[in-house]
Amino acid sequence: MIFLQSISTLFSNDYYTFWVVAAGAGIICFAAGTVGTFSYLRKRALLGDVISHAVLPGVVISFMLTGVKDSLYFLTGATISGLISIAIVDYVQSKSKLKPDTILALTLSVFFGVGIVLLTKIQHSGNGAQSGLDSFLFGKAASMSLHDVTLFSIIAIINTICIVLFIRPFSLISFDEEYAKGIGFNVKFIKYFLAMLTVITVSIGIQSVGIVLMAALLITPASGARFLTNAIPKMIFYAGFFACISGIIGVFISSTGTSMPTGPWIVVVLSSFTLLAIFFGKEKGIFARMQTRKSNQIKINNENILKIVYKTSKEGTISVPIQDIFKESSDKSIRLTLKRLEKNNIISRVKGMIVLHENGKIAAREVIRKHRLWEIYLSKYFQLEADHLHDDAEGIEHIITPEIEKHLITLLDRPEKDPHQSEIPY
Amino acid sequence: MTDPIIEAHNLTVLYGRKPAIWNVDFKLPEKQVIGIMGPNGSGKSTLLKTIMGIIPPSTGYTKVYNQELDRVRDKISYVPQRQEIDWDFPASVWDIVAMGRFHKRGLFKRLTSEDNDIISDSLQKVNMLGYAKRQISQLSGGQQQRIFLARAIAQQGDLFLMDEPFAGVDIATEEMIIALLKEMKSQGKTLIIVHHDLHTAQSYFDHLVLMNTRLVACGKIADVFTDQVLTDTYGGKLTTISKISQELENKEFPIRHK
Repeated sequence: MIFLQSISTLFSNDYYTFWVVAAGAGIICFAAGTVGTFSYLRKRALLGDVISHAVLPGVVISFMLTGVKDSLYFLTGATISGLISIAIVDYVQSKSKLKPDTILALTLSVFFGVGIVLLTKIQHSGNGAQSGLDSFLFGKAASMSLHDVTLFSIIAIINTICIVLFIRPFSLISFDEEYAKGIGFNVKFIKYFLAMLTVITVSIGIQSVGIVLMAALLITPASGARFLTNAIPKMIFYAGFFACISGIIGVFISSTGTSMPTGPWIVVVLSSFTLLAIFFGKEKGIFARMQTRKSNQIKINNENILKIVYKTSKEGTISVPIQDIFKESSDKSIRLTLKRLEKNNIISRVKGMIVLHENGKIAAREVIRKHRLWEIYLSKYFQLEADHLHDDAEGIEHIITPEIEKHLITLLDRPEKDPHQSEIPY
Repeated sequence: MTDPIIEAHNLTVLYGRKPAIWNVDFKLPEKQVIGIMGPNGSGKSTLLKTIMGIIPPSTGYTKVYNQELDRVRDKISYVPQRQEIDWDFPASVWDIVAMGRFHKRGLFKRLTSEDNDIISDSLQKVNMLGYAKRQISQLSGGQQQRIFLARAIAQQGDLFLMDEPFAGVDIATEEMIIALLKEMKSQGKTLIIVHHDLHTAQSYFDHLVLMNTRLVACGKIADVFTDQVLTDTYGGKLTTISKISQELENKEFPIRHK
């Protein structure tokens, strides 16, 4: 009941500010999702983590210099120290033999360490104005002022527009940087522009999710979106969309609870979305893959039964007593398979006999043909005992596609007989 | 030699302190199929990348059509090594071949219907038009190589630089590429191919560059493809040159004293 009440009060006029903040967080998260797609595609997931930790000293120093908590100063400080961290990573990478992950981890800890030291120092300085600076660690979107929200949203929107405009060069360097260089693109500029967009996004993103979880906001949406689509523009949209919704829900939950930080909630919601995508994504999702495996099994069962019916039927006839099938196969799902085949009009059952229809006959010959072609192929190209050929072909006969079959026929010069001297039915 | 299409002069490329290419000079003729061969790690791919301006030379230069690279880049089509790419990338076959038109349209301009026609034609040439919408992660090695070739064709260059196009492809693809090379040569294109199969070298190439960090030989295949030169390239000298390179790397010696 308390929950329902809190919802109904949310829609009253008093909560104008809440909705503005929620919308702002949504927009900021949208920007993070879109920019993060390219961090993901370029396999720079850890770089996002480095940047978000590296902005802390910038934030604290800007406060120490100005003595006021102004988001524009914070933003400037954060952006500068984020860019410095990237420059350091690049420089060390080109000049030393250290491995990339070592460089990233070192840069992250050094910047974050310095940031925490400075933060602790001003917290003990007795300056009352500093209170709340530590909310940068876990984010506190709900405490953003209207002025901040507007500023951040505008920057986030500009950022997103840049991403959309640069989708071609960004995709190109994500796929193959060297090719991009080879055809004359200014790869250095494109890379640094993308890095700058990432740093700015992080600098505004930490206001809502905080430094510690910012990397999750960059990478999680993209990794979920990857399960839903195979096209970059769609991926960017999905990533942005899920991040946006998570941002709004996160702000909502954290504002109902008592002094609940926003960042963790946003990330929790976001991770749930990503888990859903991992389970239900078409083609790549876990359920889609289970479905594929199931339909493979059905295909195998169907083809095995057809093969048996075809083989056991005597010359000229195409009907077999059902009992004979049970004798030939130990498969438990025979009845089910027979029912399915009958439903698909491939066989019919008449008075205890199975009658193979014309299309069933074609299908059966196809499986037998593939089986025997594979046996010939194995015996011709590999050292395999003759009595091992059959078992191998029993599995492969269901996998061979029409193209591979054609290829086999050409390769083997359209053979007439298999290694066991059985004829190949063309 | 009349008008070399590529000239390398005093070319040295270093990775750190280790030379990948060391003091190499050569000129290559136009309208030929030219092979670049040598043992693993002998600087073949680096040479192509230096010609394309992907890796800057440490000293010396390469010139294409006797000009600065940026003025003739439109005339060069490039086929990178497909093994260096992560093929689990969200893109279709069409998306990849379309990259071959980006240099004409720049960073932002949309591809025109003329571009689309060129992309279809290029896919047709490598028998992959039916796969245009296919995800690249589903392609076989041979098919990956074909679409890289299609992308290079879509660039419409006069000079093709190909990095190991025959590595790990099926016979059908290899034969198809060979047929394409012959066709392109008859259209007056120049083809430069990094290759490692000595058995096929004589039948594929008109001209050969043999290198092992340094240049061992460069010339018409009949003059260059001799037992002596091959031993020089692949044989005993390999160890000497790589020992010296390792020494430069380990002890941080400079490559030359001033």
